[in-house]
Amino acid sequence: MIKRGIVESRFVFVIPGFVFHFLFYLLPIILMIILGFFSWDILSPMKFVGLKNFSDLMKDKWFWNSVVVSFKYTFLAVPIIFVISLLLGVLLQEEDTFSKVMRVFFYWPYMIPMVAAGTMWKWLFSRNFGLVNHILTRMGFQPVSWLDDPTLALFTVVMVQVWVLAGFMMMLFIVGLQAISEEFYEAASIDGATNFQKFWYITLPLLRNTNISVITLSIANCFRNFTIVYIMTTGGPGYATTVAPLYVYQKAFTDFRIGYASAGSLVVLLITFVIAFAVRRVQEGGEMEGAV
Amino acid sequence: MKKVIIIVLAVLFMIPVFWTITSSLKSMNEIYKYPPSIFPEKVSLEGYINVIEQSDFPRYLANTLFVAIISTIITVFLCVSLGYGLAKGIFKYKGFLTEVVIVTLFVTAQVIMVPLFVIIRQLGLMDSLWGLIIPAVFTPTGAFTAIQYMKGIPNEFLESAKVDGAGEWQIFSRIVLPLSKPLIASLSIFSFTWRWNDFVLPLIVINSGKKFTIQLALATLQGQYGIPWNEILAFSVMAIIPTLVIFLLFQNLFMKGISAGGLKY
Repeated sequence: MIKRGIVESRFVFVIPGFVFHFLFYLLPIILMIILGFFSWDILSPMKFVGLKNFSDLMKDKWFWNSVVVSFKYTFLAVPIIFVISLLLGVLLQEEDTFSKVMRVFFYWPYMIPMVAAGTMWKWLFSRNFGLVNHILTRMGFQPVSWLDDPTLALFTVVMVQVWVLAGFMMMLFIVGLQAISEEFYEAASIDGATNFQKFWYITLPLLRNTNISVITLSIANCFRNFTIVYIMTTGGPGYATTVAPLYVYQKAFTDFRIGYASAGSLVVLLITFVIAFAVRRVQEGGEMEGAV
Repeated sequence: MKKVIIIVLAVLFMIPVFWTITSSLKSMNEIYKYPPSIFPEKVSLEGYINVIEQSDFPRYLANTLFVAIISTIITVFLCVSLGYGLAKGIFKYKGFLTEVVIVTLFVTAQVIMVPLFVIIRQLGLMDSLWGLIIPAVFTPTGAFTAIQYMKGIPNEFLESAKVDGAGEWQIFSRIVLPLSKPLIASLSIFSFTWRWNDFVLPLIVINSGKKFTIQLALATLQGQYGIPWNEILAFSVMAIIPTLVIFLLFQNLFMKGISAGGLKY
């Protein structure tokens, strides 16, 4: 009988997974907090500096600039992703062959390696040799410095983010839309509702859970973006597109200020956690429509 | 009308891909011509040939395949096993451990790269392909997918196997694993794709050119002075092809399948 109890526990099955989970997820978070209190350039011994990293961070105008850039980036990208993926979801919700084939074109960018995606867009928006400026000049406009102008550069990288994420979010909308019963629409038709009214008063409210998943997942994805910016602008011109994860990367691996970078990562991680908890709350409040 | 809008949008979405492919087929002279030509005047494989001959491409390919395949095998083992344990086991702190996995769903390499770098360095894995494999094999998204899937396996199957005298390991290998084929397929495909596409980990772990993965090599190529764009774009096309093939073969799994695994890590 005792043996049966041990056998049923099945604890051994979780051990290997949790060893890796501890080493590469929990330990980094613990270590990040500890390193935040030290000054360390990897080569010389670590030096305890108390709260100095954090007080320096508070005064570091470029760090806060990078946090602001991350927020700008996120809140510029998320509404556009939302509108485009909802539109695509509505247009492609049917299960016919045409819709199924077309979905592939929109979803595929999500599968493209971010490095390659950034490279492709950089070429598309190249000032002298890019297709976009070529078309603009053909139409009689001046060529635009898409990635060299501080304001435009952020918009350009946001465009790539939208391109990458919209198709994935479209699939969440399709799942959500397909779950809405036809009866609601039939009833509304009898009452003489227009298509727009049906969309506004039936579809959108019933998509509430999907809407929230799409928004929170988009925020989390955009806020931690690193690769697109690294490839397309390396944060430039100046600090115009230096997002927080990129700033932290530069402090750690260009300036070798490991302790300082850890303190910065901790702030970024805390912001990410706030977003993650928001997602959890939503998940507990209702079904997550296939997300997370 | 609806179809027209969809097709127009699809064309817009595919413009970057189109422009990359046509440009990659131009010769060096043609790619820097102003104004640019939409289609190559003369299709040239110059970019592809130069990049394969001069950039050590076969080695990058071998490195990337090694990392992606080995990681995928370990990932499947870890996630299936952990999912089974957490979904079907009975032990103290089970709920807490499940919660711990879920809390870390949003922790990705971009956010913890500094301490991750320190750990990888302490383990002696710097500038080694194992340094790209070992830290990445366990993913909270994969584990979460596995837990959800395992919950769907009816307890009666496990009970009746036990009544028939099967040991715990036999139940796992003869009952649970065969029932988990869809889970294993999904985990394998996602894991392979994310490891193939990975950039952040190679960027902080690898220093020497011999150990470069395809993505790291592509990023580095752009930082070098004087590399013509037709070669960079040819490289990009080659970096995309394997995942495109996998995506087209397993589209349904990617687009519907088990959706949690779709979250990028």
